[in-house]
Amino acid sequence: MDAPVIRLDAVTRRFGDFTAVSAAEATLSPGEIHAIVGENGAGKSTLLKLAAGVLAPSAGRVLVGDDALSPATPAEAIRRGVGMVHQHFMLVAAFTALENLMLGAEPVRSWGRLDLASAREKAQAIADRTGLQVPLDAVTETLSVGERQRLEILRVLYRGARAILLDEPTAVLSPLEADELYTTLRALADDGATIAVVTHRLDEVARFADRVTVMRRGKVVLARPYARAGAGEIRGGDLTRAIMGGEPPLPFARPAMAKDAAIVLEIKGLSLTDAGGQRRLRAVDLTVRQGEIVGIAGIEGNGQSELVRALAGLEPGATGRVAVGDRDLSRLSVRARRASLGVVLEDRHEEGLCQEATVGDNLVLGDLGDRRDGAPAFDEAAAITRRMQRFDIHPADPARLAGELSGGNQQKIVIARALDRLPRGPRSAAVLAQPTRGVDVGAAAAIHAAIGEAAASGIAVVIISADLAELRKLAHRIVVMRRGEIVQSLSPEATETEIGRAMLGQEAA
Amino acid sequence: MSATPDEAPEPPVLRPLLPALLALFGIILLLNLISFAFGQAPLTTLRLALAGTWGTPYGIGQVLFKSTPLIFTALAFEIALRSGLFNIGAEGQVALGSLAGGVVGAHLPAGTPWPLAITICVLAAALTGAGVALIPAVMRARLGVHEIISTIMLNRIVEVLLPFLLVTVLGAAALRTVEVVPGAALLKLDAVFPALRGSAASVAFPLAVGLAFGVDALLRRTRRGREMRWIGINAAACRAEGIDVSRRLVQAMLLSGAIAGAAMVATVLGYKGYYELGLGAGAGFTGIAVALLGRGHPLGIVIAALLFGTLQQAGLAVNARVPKEAMDVLAAAVILLVAVANRAAAKPLTQVTPVVAPPAPASEEAAS
Ligand SMILES: Nc1ncnc2c1ncn2[C@@H]1O[C@H](COP(=O)(O)OP(=O)(O)OP(=O)(O)O)[C@@H](O)[C@H]1O
Ligand SMILES: [Mg+2]
Repeated sequence: MDAPVIRLDAVTRRFGDFTAVSAAEATLSPGEIHAIVGENGAGKSTLLKLAAGVLAPSAGRVLVGDDALSPATPAEAIRRGVGMVHQHFMLVAAFTALENLMLGAEPVRSWGRLDLASAREKAQAIADRTGLQVPLDAVTETLSVGERQRLEILRVLYRGARAILLDEPTAVLSPLEADELYTTLRALADDGATIAVVTHRLDEVARFADRVTVMRRGKVVLARPYARAGAGEIRGGDLTRAIMGGEPPLPFARPAMAKDAAIVLEIKGLSLTDAGGQRRLRAVDLTVRQGEIVGIAGIEGNGQSELVRALAGLEPGATGRVAVGDRDLSRLSVRARRASLGVVLEDRHEEGLCQEATVGDNLVLGDLGDRRDGAPAFDEAAAITRRMQRFDIHPADPARLAGELSGGNQQKIVIARALDRLPRGPRSAAVLAQPTRGVDVGAAAAIHAAIGEAAASGIAVVIISADLAELRKLAHRIVVMRRGEIVQSLSPEATETEIGRAMLGQEAA
Repeated sequence: MSATPDEAPEPPVLRPLLPALLALFGIILLLNLISFAFGQAPLTTLRLALAGTWGTPYGIGQVLFKSTPLIFTALAFEIALRSGLFNIGAEGQVALGSLAGGVVGAHLPAGTPWPLAITICVLAAALTGAGVALIPAVMRARLGVHEIISTIMLNRIVEVLLPFLLVTVLGAAALRTVEVVPGAALLKLDAVFPALRGSAASVAFPLAVGLAFGVDALLRRTRRGREMRWIGINAAACRAEGIDVSRRLVQAMLLSGAIAGAAMVATVLGYKGYYELGLGAGAGFTGIAVALLGRGHPLGIVIAALLFGTLQQAGLAVNARVPKEAMDVLAAAVILLVAVANRAAAKPLTQVTPVVAPPAPASEEAAS
């Protein structure tokens, strides 16, 4: 079966009286990798969902091949060869990879018995053809993020899709994994598949996309071929300008830091053994000075998330010393720690936001009844307004449900909550995991600026990110974590290759 | 053309009312079917049911009376539910609370002035209800035992405990307590509205309505209530932000038990003047349905309670021709209808996202 051309013909989608996508035109063709970029809330996910039948258009048509996609359902879309990989994984954690793969399209033998063997055969064939290797018998929750991402794509292929629409597939991947993913996508495209990728990483557009569509406030503002690898017709700056509808943000200026600045955050011998007896953290030592930004690099699953959780006070089994300023936090509750340590956990959906609560509520989650020494009671309304303004949360309506905001704006809520509460100065530290995951250029710049400002005020900052470019841009110093240990400390001038080697545990060349 | 203008802006009032309207329609249809099955002309039964409930002032009073404990138990369920807990234990909490309130009321000095007497009785009932709820609350917070299981088990325990307490500890011969002192008896509504004469409605009804709004204010405006709601939405996020989740869960469960226990104002203080075995039985379970039908709105809960109260009273009214159990069938049907209607009203179908259908959180849609 040939991959279909997908055409969006003046497609509009409204939510209530809000127009998320407005008269958008786009053509996704076989053999191409089509990048879709734009600010948070620009309507990229909505556009993709319209193309995949997940949402029905309010006006206009979605054409797959020559005919309209009707009824506009995912089932019909997949029947016509169009499959979507969502921004957040949709896998059943307790199932094996194979079970997830066949879920909803299970081959059966007589009497309704599952035909695992033929499913495996088919899956293996696709995996061999495309290089999407996933351990089929592993339980899904034990898979790494990269493997889960591959599993999602494999699942779409398994169900017969020839047009694959991916919503921010690289947001959770390390640069290495992202490159691998694009290699696979390129192979699929060369094989005649139609590929569309939503991304916030513009370097990916430059390196891998054949064509780019820029969305802004629900409209398609730019659609062009984009020659790969350097010979681009649009330069990076132009793309940024189209996305933001204005001048690109000022480049990040790393705040200066005094050589002999006082130590603010001190971690000594922090260890953690999980319920299964696995050692997650092995005597982690780290000191961060006043105004210093330290980046932690590492392949996902090497103890970074545990480190953040332990610092936040969410791992009662952790041993070792954590101090901020002169205050020993090791024995304090989560709530007591927050007064001098701002934490953003990695997974904003699981542990960051109450999606069905309002934006205002989320902005002060856990702050109610807080009193600083001698200060008057917590002024909730003022805090909400200040946090919304400082971080430019959009739409600026505290009564909206947090779940209705775009991913980037949800992220801003979490960051605003952690940073705004901290007293400025050398008595506070902030630990931020994946601070700009899934966030657009403008918002990322705003978050970076807020981090820089916090550091400039004397707060000691730790950033954990899968995005090495981000770490190299922000941090004064990059430390590498492997197997629950800090194994190396590098300068931000180190190349990504050098950092990557350290992450893998290879000797520096 | 595939364009479906699926989200034509709806009148905002209609959507929350939709389940109730649907349920009402279903009830009338089913009532007709049932009476037909018993050889009755459908309209006659309906007329009888209406006449016995909303047709006369007395009927209205009786409906109010039957609805009152349901408001309490629905609120009890609601508070727990908003915090992410399923308190199925209202049944036992009501029973023990009523017993305690009745016993305390009977042992007050005869001349106790009414404000004091009533306060003491209600406090005793509420504290007992909370006491019953404390067990599942602590089991959940400390040991992670699911409250559905522990509250159901506790209902059974209370069920056997009651006759035992009445007979051995309290030495009552007739499985009832002694009459409460006059000061503890609640004002009947017919003292204010003479038309309601003879009905069992008391000021417990307006009290319950007030409580419904009080609970709503608690959940919306107070720190404690808001944190409870947030925990109900995402406990992990609340824990990460330093909210004491266990403590709030225990508080929610205790409050829930206390409100369930206080349901006895309607039955013991407002009606019988004493507690007897079986008084208020069933209110705990019906309250769950009332809470679900009320959809978290104070007025919704009151209306839903009135609906169920009407059904109970109607059952008595038609008993001569159609067995009153028919009304239980109706009540059960309402619960099913509500479940269906709630789903239908919750989200337009086009927003059910996943390509394949692994259980995805309902809010996934907007999350990107
Ligand atoms: N189910 C919904 N109900 C109401 N509004 C919605 C819903 N889904 C999306 N929106 C709104 O539509 C707009 C576009 O959302 P969409 O998810 O398409 O953005 P996006 O471009 O994918 O953003 P991001 O880069 O942050 O993922 C946003 O303003 C969002 O708040
Ligand atoms: Mg999106």
